[in-house]
Amino acid sequence: MNKARSIKQNAGTDVLPNFRNLGITLRILLISNGMGLLLALIQADGWPDVPQHIMQIATLLTPILLASMLLLWAIQPWLDQLGYWRGVLVVNLSVMVLVLATYFIGGDAYLPLDRGAGYFDAVRYVLLSLTVSGGLLMYFRLRTLALSRALHDARLQVLRARIRPHFLFNTINAVLGIVRTQPRQAETALEDMADLFRMAMSDARDLVPLQKEIKLSKQYIALEQLRMGERLSMDWQLRDLPDDALIPQLLLQPLLENAVYHGIEPLPQGGCIKVEMRRSGDELQIKVENPSLPSSGTTHHGNKVALRNIRERLDLLFDVEARYQVETGKDFYRVEIALPYVTVRPKLKERKS
Amino acid sequence: MSGKEQALQIFIVDDEPPARNRLRDVLNDCSEKLPVQIIGEAGNGREALDRLTDLPVDVVLLDIRMPQMDGIELAQHLNKLPKPPVIIFTTAYDDYAIKAFELHAVDYLLKPIRMARLIEALTRARNAVPVRSEVLQELSPAPRRNLSSHERGKIHLIPIEQVLYLRAELKYITVRTAEREYLIEESLSALEKEFSARFVRIHRNCLVAKQAIEGFEKGGEDSAESAGWMVKLKCLDELLSISRRQQHIVKEFG
Repeated sequence: MNKARSIKQNAGTDVLPNFRNLGITLRILLISNGMGLLLALIQADGWPDVPQHIMQIATLLTPILLASMLLLWAIQPWLDQLGYWRGVLVVNLSVMVLVLATYFIGGDAYLPLDRGAGYFDAVRYVLLSLTVSGGLLMYFRLRTLALSRALHDARLQVLRARIRPHFLFNTINAVLGIVRTQPRQAETALEDMADLFRMAMSDARDLVPLQKEIKLSKQYIALEQLRMGERLSMDWQLRDLPDDALIPQLLLQPLLENAVYHGIEPLPQGGCIKVEMRRSGDELQIKVENPSLPSSGTTHHGNKVALRNIRERLDLLFDVEARYQVETGKDFYRVEIALPYVTVRPKLKERKS
Repeated sequence: MSGKEQALQIFIVDDEPPARNRLRDVLNDCSEKLPVQIIGEAGNGREALDRLTDLPVDVVLLDIRMPQMDGIELAQHLNKLPKPPVIIFTTAYDDYAIKAFELHAVDYLLKPIRMARLIEALTRARNAVPVRSEVLQELSPAPRRNLSSHERGKIHLIPIEQVLYLRAELKYITVRTAEREYLIEESLSALEKEFSARFVRIHRNCLVAKQAIEGFEKGGEDSAESAGWMVKLKCLDELLSISRRQQHIVKEFG
């Protein structure tokens, strides 16, 4: 088991960034422009001088940056198959070619007035660009490395925190409580429990069909209803959900578990958990709302562990393309998640190194 | 002793119906080896307290995690009964409580409950004495939600948010709500510790609910002990004097 885990982890690190991903694109833009700004500060002799240098750098940087990103976006599928180091070479070569092309086509625009044509500037710009692109690639490599460790932890968390021991033992006790009088119901409960734990013990990096996660969540709720009876009711509002959508596994179920444990259980009369899911354009929106005891300040610790875990996994799989929001009202608690509507799994795992 | 033949009278408290079912089943299984009689059951703490007031039993099997009033708080109120029952806690999983139980040698049963373990606990319960209230207080990480006062054979629950002030008088403590006064037998300093978030000490013998303070008035006699300041309460026409040592609260809350 340990061996298998470490092999998987290694496979994930030597991977070029996905240049079609919004988060990657944003990071490249921010970091490159930031470095440009820094350079302007270094070159300038005083404050009044800075804007001019910024302009100068931007006129060269912006076309190169945009052209590179467009090119990389276009050749992304091909880059994927190249392997890491060849990919790095291709990326750097593309940047170099684009720099030279921009410099020579741009002509006079990039020549300081007091200097004649020569290769000094061309060499300088190429070296600078390579520093930036090399630095960025290094940054993305380190980032994948750091995140894959987080991924590993998140997976372990599935076993430890996602399904609470509290739930496990109470449910076993409840099943024992009905096994003599309602053996059929007890059988179904045990089957549901097996499904739930099978999911919890599988690889947390996998995406599963949305409908499967919904079914599993309903099985989970059935188990809780076995214990809590009428105190727990549900309001499922599922509209226009595509059949082919994939979501991270155990995304919805822990949200429901939180809602039950922190929301419904402390309420003597119980309450209703509202689940809203819908597709809106390229997004899947999930909303889970539960009533909560007014001012129960003591019970929010466990909440955080499960929610942080979800947030981490979303970050990992979708970066800035997933959104996540919690609203704590006086007598309700609401979690809203938006994630991209994907039908094939994002290339996080299968890419060859 | 003839007491051995007498069936052990048992009361079950758990908020989950299947869990009560399970306990009934296992208790029935036990009865061959140990005479037991299930006197009744309740789904929440308040109901349990009401029924147990006029229904003395030997043992209460009590779930810890319940809405509204948890098992440990209920046990503290049950301790005020003239003949408090022996309590055996039941819990599915509760790290904090279990550690505390071990520490204080309080008996508990882990769910799912096994017959052998239940018989063991019940046998021990015959000779056991109720757990002391101070120990119970240490078992619970959270303050109680109610105070309880024993009055003519009945136990009154006083929700803590209704309490305006607590004043020590000789042997008892007066608990004042907007409607009336109750007497309880507890120590003021223990109450101060338990409810430190809600009450502030204004005098050697008095704790006031922070929410109940409307303002401060100068008017009392200025002596070695009293600072001359008085607390004016929101829903009660009564002034409470602040001692010299505590007069800094005039600044903090004024």
